[in-house]
Amino acid sequence: MTLSPHGLRARNARAAALVAAAAAMSLAATGCSVANSDAGDPAGGGNTLRVVLPQEPPTLEPCEASLTATGVVVRSNITEPLLERNPTTGTLEPRLATEWTQTQPTLWTFKLRSGVKFSDGSDFTSEDAVAAIERSANNTKLACNVQGYVFGESGKLTLAAPDASTVTVQTGQPDPLLPLRVSFVEMTKSDTSTTEKVREPVGTGPYKIETWAAGQKLTLTSWDGYWGDKPAYAKAEYQWREEGTVRAAMVVNGEADLATNLGADDGAGDTGVQYPNNETTALRFTTDQAPLNDIRVRQAIDMSIDRDGIVKSLFGGIGRPASQLIGPGVVGYNESLTPTAYDLAGAKALVDQARADGVKVDTPFRIIGRTAQFPKIAESIELIQSALTQIGLTAKIEMMDTSAQMKYQLRPFPDDAGPVALMIMHGNQAGDAAFTVGQYFATDGAQSSSGTPQLDQQIKAAGTQTGDARKQAYAGVFASENKDVRGFAFLANMGAVLGLAENVSYAPDAATGDELRLADVKPKS
Amino acid sequence: MTLLENPPEAPAPEAPDRPARANWFRMLLADPAAFVSALILLLVAFVAVFGRQLAGDSAIKGDLSLSRLAPFSLDHGWQYVLGGDLLGRSLLGRLMVATQTTMSVVVPVVLISLVIGASVGMWAGYHRGRRETVAMRIADVILSFPSLLMAVVVLYIFSPSIASIIAILAITRIPVYLRTARAESAELQTRLFVDAARTFGTPSGAIIRRHIFPIVLPTLLTVATVDFCYVMLAESSLSFLGIGVQPPDVSWGLMVAQGRDQLRTQWWLSVLPGLAIVITTVSANLLASWVRIATDPGQRWRLTVPRRRRRAAGPTVLETT
Amino acid sequence: MLTFLRRRVLTSLLPLLAVVLGVFVLARLTGNPTALYLPENATAQAREQFSAANGFDKPIWSQLLDYLSGVVRLDFGTSLRTGESAAVMALRAFPATLQLAAVTMLLACLVGTAVGCWAALRPNGLADRVSSLLSMTAASVPDFWLAILGIWVFAIMLGVLPTSGVDAGGLSWVLPIAVLMLRPAGVLTQVVRGAMISALGSPYVKVARSKGAGERRVVARHALKNAAPPALTVAGDLAVGLINGAVVVESIFGWPGIGKLLIDAILQRDFAVLQAAVAITAISIFVLNIAIDIGYALLDARVRQKVGAAA
Repeated sequence: MTLSPHGLRARNARAAALVAAAAAMSLAATGCSVANSDAGDPAGGGNTLRVVLPQEPPTLEPCEASLTATGVVVRSNITEPLLERNPTTGTLEPRLATEWTQTQPTLWTFKLRSGVKFSDGSDFTSEDAVAAIERSANNTKLACNVQGYVFGESGKLTLAAPDASTVTVQTGQPDPLLPLRVSFVEMTKSDTSTTEKVREPVGTGPYKIETWAAGQKLTLTSWDGYWGDKPAYAKAEYQWREEGTVRAAMVVNGEADLATNLGADDGAGDTGVQYPNNETTALRFTTDQAPLNDIRVRQAIDMSIDRDGIVKSLFGGIGRPASQLIGPGVVGYNESLTPTAYDLAGAKALVDQARADGVKVDTPFRIIGRTAQFPKIAESIELIQSALTQIGLTAKIEMMDTSAQMKYQLRPFPDDAGPVALMIMHGNQAGDAAFTVGQYFATDGAQSSSGTPQLDQQIKAAGTQTGDARKQAYAGVFASENKDVRGFAFLANMGAVLGLAENVSYAPDAATGDELRLADVKPKS
Repeated sequence: MTLLENPPEAPAPEAPDRPARANWFRMLLADPAAFVSALILLLVAFVAVFGRQLAGDSAIKGDLSLSRLAPFSLDHGWQYVLGGDLLGRSLLGRLMVATQTTMSVVVPVVLISLVIGASVGMWAGYHRGRRETVAMRIADVILSFPSLLMAVVVLYIFSPSIASIIAILAITRIPVYLRTARAESAELQTRLFVDAARTFGTPSGAIIRRHIFPIVLPTLLTVATVDFCYVMLAESSLSFLGIGVQPPDVSWGLMVAQGRDQLRTQWWLSVLPGLAIVITTVSANLLASWVRIATDPGQRWRLTVPRRRRRAAGPTVLETT
Repeated sequence: MLTFLRRRVLTSLLPLLAVVLGVFVLARLTGNPTALYLPENATAQAREQFSAANGFDKPIWSQLLDYLSGVVRLDFGTSLRTGESAAVMALRAFPATLQLAAVTMLLACLVGTAVGCWAALRPNGLADRVSSLLSMTAASVPDFWLAILGIWVFAIMLGVLPTSGVDAGGLSWVLPIAVLMLRPAGVLTQVVRGAMISALGSPYVKVARSKGAGERRVVARHALKNAAPPALTVAGDLAVGLINGAVVVESIFGWPGIGKLLIDAILQRDFAVLQAAVAITAISIFVLNIAIDIGYALLDARVRQKVGAAA
């Protein structure tokens, strides 16, 4: 964050002009509006944690908690799941359930914690748990985000509550991942609407909603009847600012204690803490049309990506070059794969070889990206495109808004799409490779545009394994994809910066972006 | 009364009777600011035409080792005198290439919306009545439409191209000229000299062209030159939303939008293209105000009388014209 | 006056309807929002269900009829994103934008008129040159630059203003308004200056002068009124821009206005919110336009009176 002298001079000149303007303005503005409170004075005498997010939660409906903007506020703060995955170790830990066992191949039994109350004072019972799982996993009318995301392939669940503290879940097929799936269901009361989504839920978490001034501010207040330890902050106040620079500035300026999703250039300065998030970026190829239907061309593209350069120069050193579509924390990550080396000469040789074999390498293809999907996405694509020109390929860049880009991301793809290299960002929130490979690598995956029957077999086989065998099997899937299919050119395992005021202590982990547990934030003594 | 409604195109009493054209250059020299502006605009035009060739490879091919290179040093050749962008491309070269794209968007947009808006506006204002109402309500519709929605729609259906960007921006700017032209021409058509022309049987098209257009033109020019920068900035926000100029093509607006994240660390990435916008529009404005004076018979003396005498003459001169 | 007003309002209803219908149709040309609202791996069946539940599977005219019959009952639909009533969301966001726009326009008009008149008194004089240069620069500086720079200078370096937000009382207004008003003030200065130069050279001002009216009186009473119509047009257009939402300023400063709501609705294909937001901005823009027309009519009458009196 050094400043060149020229920068200072330019700024001072404009600053002088601005001071004059602002001085006049402030007089006028204060005269005509009611000054109600002071910015610097946090409500509750410093016992409020002020968090600034990139966007306002669209809703606090717990069954939408796998949406980042909703989950980051709701999860484990307002509502809680039965069990929770530790993002660092990957193990499941008890929350509202104390133990869970696979009593039969297709039957899981959960024992609930006793003495848990909802923030309206009512008891949490197995009836509530059954209703909550039913609502999130089986209710097709609500179409909860969690439903498709976690329970998509598991079929309808049969739920029962044999007694007040026991829940059983019956699955169609033996499902070793069921507890992991259930960890995505936030517990709500049994009388929660099953036909409409709820904007302000009642949960069992350490905080409850105090006020939500839509558009401006959301305030949570800690709940006295919480079953666990009382959180350090009595209140939490959420605000949202779209610009990373503004979020960083709020922490630097003492207007917020914690700012999420910052980039390297946002100016968090000393308050910035780097952490790896769940996301991995990659180019996904369509493999049915020239020139991308030849594996040598796809390998050549893979080799012409300067990953180290992108991470260092564009991402400001945040993140690391990727060798596969998931990060190290996920079950099935293959430690032995390394990011493809940057080798323009080798790439050019491959393209020439393909050309000699009659592949139409001169056919233009599109590189499609989603605007602002991650910091410096346009620049990254431009760098890749310029390298492709050097190895003899013709690529045209197209940046789109989310809705337009989705047409290319999800099946069925547009008929006239032509050959496409699509920039994707995949975050495996669940922590198991099953949630990645079925989607992206299987020939019929919802977001897959490549694949082979052999790989499909391998994916299917891996899904039935447990324990170490599962890790091995999925690691094998990633190795085969890279070697035999090369439907992707991986870019980076991404990272982010958290802005943290100096009087606050919090250690971000891979899940911080999706779930910011307020109870883990403590004042620094 | 006749004195009051003096048709403005009649030569002012003491305007020298020399052919005006020969005077243009001298009048330009008499106004140093306008002269410098004209030079700057010529330079912009030159770069817009030849920039791509001049900039060469350094504007296209990056060198990551020169990423975020600070400006004002000649260590890496003249191309890097304004520093390097994130991909290590020469910022000067990028600015030159961007000049072409920017001008090929902005100039057509301003011209198209000016011509369409002004003609419809003058026509509507002259005829008044139903024609005026219809034209104005159409303008209202365009104005109260979120231009962003129009942009998203057009770019969703047609793939983003310079032509569709021009179309969107031109449509959204038409009402501005339309309303300005309508207001002035509605006021003018009540004046006596227009009435006189009408009684002599001059067709309405000719009246608009000969009597109304010359009087409305200065205001339209002011609006157009101000709009010049508005269009550049609008193009920049389209770029920012990813529906403007597409990389690897580049415009000033795109550079400003992309560089804003680095405003506090690598300020030159967005400040320099922003300066290009500011300098170009200010030059265009200065030259336009010179044109106003030079074409206004009542004001022209300011550019023909030597500076010192002008100052001595002071504000009272206004009454002598 | 009343007949004028009534006719003006009546002729505005059709264009208003055109805007509402146009937005409805155009929005649906931007694609089915299903993919945005269902998880990435939702089944084809789930997608169809979602489409059917929201009526996206019906032909567009049938969707339009449904919508219009809702509007008649003042039901603008429900937001796909938040599940709230779209009308409530739009009505909640609009005052914030309106306040910001009103204060900004007021200040911009004051500054523009004052500086523009001052500059026009002696065209090409030093004051004119300096103010022209400043106002032109002001009109062409990208607003997000100023916003980010303003936050940096006033909030972080000097610590005198909050970075953003709305809960610091009057201080919260300073940066957004300063950033917002710069362009309108610059443009208005230019327009007022141009119109004033013409007006000061026009016959009736000369007549007024020859009758011995003081310079101040000439400028204030005669020239300014004559210069007002073009300035009013431009001011109206600038105000319309502000009412349509100052997207950049609203999203940078976290100002909960309609511009941010509108852009989010467009990008998220949240049609109900988009339609409600456009309806409310369109209505206010039409009201504003009517007000400007009344302003014209008044000015016109007075100008004519003045000319008559002078002659």
